[in-house]
Amino acid sequence: MGNKNVLIIGGGTAGLSAAVELVNLDIHVDLVEKSDFLGGHAIGYTCKATRNTCVKCGACMVEEKLKDTILHPKIKIWTGSRVQEVSKNGRFTAKIHCKPKYIDPHKCTNCRICFDKCPVDGAILHGFSKNNIPFYAINEELCLYLKDKSCGLCRDECPETAINLDPKATEYIKEADAVLVAAGFHPFNPEDKPYGYHRFQNVITSLDLERMLKQVGRVKRPSDATIPERIAFIQCVGSRDSKLNHLWCSKVCCGSALRMARLLKERQPDIDISFFYIDVQTFGKDFEQFYKDVQEEVRMIRAIPGDIYETDRQKLKINFLDNNTHETLEEIFDLVVLSIGITPGKDNGEIAELLHLKLADSGFFKSGAEEASAPNTGIFSAGTISGAMSIPETIASAGKAARQIVKYFRANDS
Amino acid sequence: MTSRSEIINLDQVDHGRCRSWPFFQDYCVTCALCAGSCPASGIDGFDPRMLVRMVSLGLVEELVEARWPWICTLCGKCENVCPMEIDIADLVRKIRSLRDREKVPGILYKGLAAALETGNNLRLPKEDFIFIIEDVAEEVAEEPGFEEFKAPVDKKGANLLTTIHNKLVNTHTEDLKHWWKIFHAAQEDWTVTSEHWEGTSWGYFTGDDAAMKVMAGRIVEQMEQLEIKNLLWPE
Repeated sequence: MGNKNVLIIGGGTAGLSAAVELVNLDIHVDLVEKSDFLGGHAIGYTCKATRNTCVKCGACMVEEKLKDTILHPKIKIWTGSRVQEVSKNGRFTAKIHCKPKYIDPHKCTNCRICFDKCPVDGAILHGFSKNNIPFYAINEELCLYLKDKSCGLCRDECPETAINLDPKATEYIKEADAVLVAAGFHPFNPEDKPYGYHRFQNVITSLDLERMLKQVGRVKRPSDATIPERIAFIQCVGSRDSKLNHLWCSKVCCGSALRMARLLKERQPDIDISFFYIDVQTFGKDFEQFYKDVQEEVRMIRAIPGDIYETDRQKLKINFLDNNTHETLEEIFDLVVLSIGITPGKDNGEIAELLHLKLADSGFFKSGAEEASAPNTGIFSAGTISGAMSIPETIASAGKAARQIVKYFRANDS
Repeated sequence: MTSRSEIINLDQVDHGRCRSWPFFQDYCVTCALCAGSCPASGIDGFDPRMLVRMVSLGLVEELVEARWPWICTLCGKCENVCPMEIDIADLVRKIRSLRDREKVPGILYKGLAAALETGNNLRLPKEDFIFIIEDVAEEVAEEPGFEEFKAPVDKKGANLLTTIHNKLVNTHTEDLKHWWKIFHAAQEDWTVTSEHWEGTSWGYFTGDDAAMKVMAGRIVEQMEQLEIKNLLWPE
């Protein structure tokens, strides 16, 4: 298989895992990632081990895959890049558009001086894994130099002269023997739900909490950096919702939210946690015991609240019906975590068009034996592009896709 | 509400019984967003989620006899938040429609009978109604900027007919003025009718479609008689 090349669209858990599998089979990979960093959403997830015991959330596995990918000689990594055209005439020919490379990965030492010196909040981004090289990136939308050349601090202060603010975007033509679509999911944006996300500072998403716990290990209120005394988790935000045409359960949120709740109880035991849910959807043989244990530490309320109001000191008032007494209760929390669902990637339509595929009605790619993985097209899919999956499931689906690709190569070579 | 068993008789559970009701109650995922949003939930143990489930389980008699369906104000906030698009307010109205009319709560029952007989829920005679309207109109005209104000009654060819909630000619006459001042400021060509002016349709609230049709029909008739094209029907 030493002369085969696979184009992977998407550098998250699925794309990285598939890349590792393929190079192990002596197949070359072009890994195209639209953002500046590899690892997708999951690279921002926290390890959820409690009592020194792994709970198999999979967060560390994404880090491992990233580490294995980043310096591998058979994997060509294209961050900040998009596949723009794909044609097939025997092999696939793809046009890859790369935005300008402002930071030279060969010179950058991740010293952080650019990040600290930049006068505009958010104009220099950072990743969630130090294995990403460079760990920093210029945000084209906010950088003052790119706007009107009024600033060049990062470039001037960089001790390695790794920053160049004038490079041009580039385009490359690459050939591939198969295409793997692994562009992942879009975390549901809960702004339109009656929970005040982006209006109330202390309403955050499960993704925000993952990142907070990964980066600083403790939970604090965004408004004043104090430790919350009472936290509410609200499940199923953007999942199981006919109005949104999101009828699916996102599968991972109950498990990950309960694991984070338990992690918080271990690290900050004084925090009081209430967990608002419809029904706990979890999988795995160990979960029953975990669930029994967690109920001793977390107050479980089988009702989704209707409204959140901001009160004094940016606390949050929640109305809900108490399932046991059938009374309407009004309680005050210091922080609310919305467990946001897994929804179809924003680029799914564009990618499907590029490859002449049809999406399922849900907006996800058709999965498994369906269209994207149909024999003899040479186009395969892996991970959450075809629906909600956990990290371990995503890695397994990437392994499966790699095997399907090998079978495809064998069948078409003979 | 002390014990669930006081309401639910498990022997009567029948999943198929209400399946033909067109409100999608069987799609309920029991998330309780309705209950968490409802301004009336918790009053006497009222729980919209439980109501929806009871319909799914075919526990119709229990619901028809219960006070619950009459606690609801039919405001529709539950429907607005329901992720499964269940028509909860319509469901409540359907349950109300199944109660013997004599057992409909007194004020609604008597008010509706009065409206059907006399054109309004209060049995307010036409002369008294006109007197009240003119009296309030004079009060408005005493305020600076409204010297020219008049409340036109039965004006043929007006642009807009507005109905009146009975409490606005009873205990809340001040509230008439807000509407009227807006009309005046907007130079609206509006009118009210001296008969059948009632805008509160207790046929709607009691689940009585026939009565609702009579009330609505009267408004349409008056619009035709007075040759008015537009209707403002505030509840």
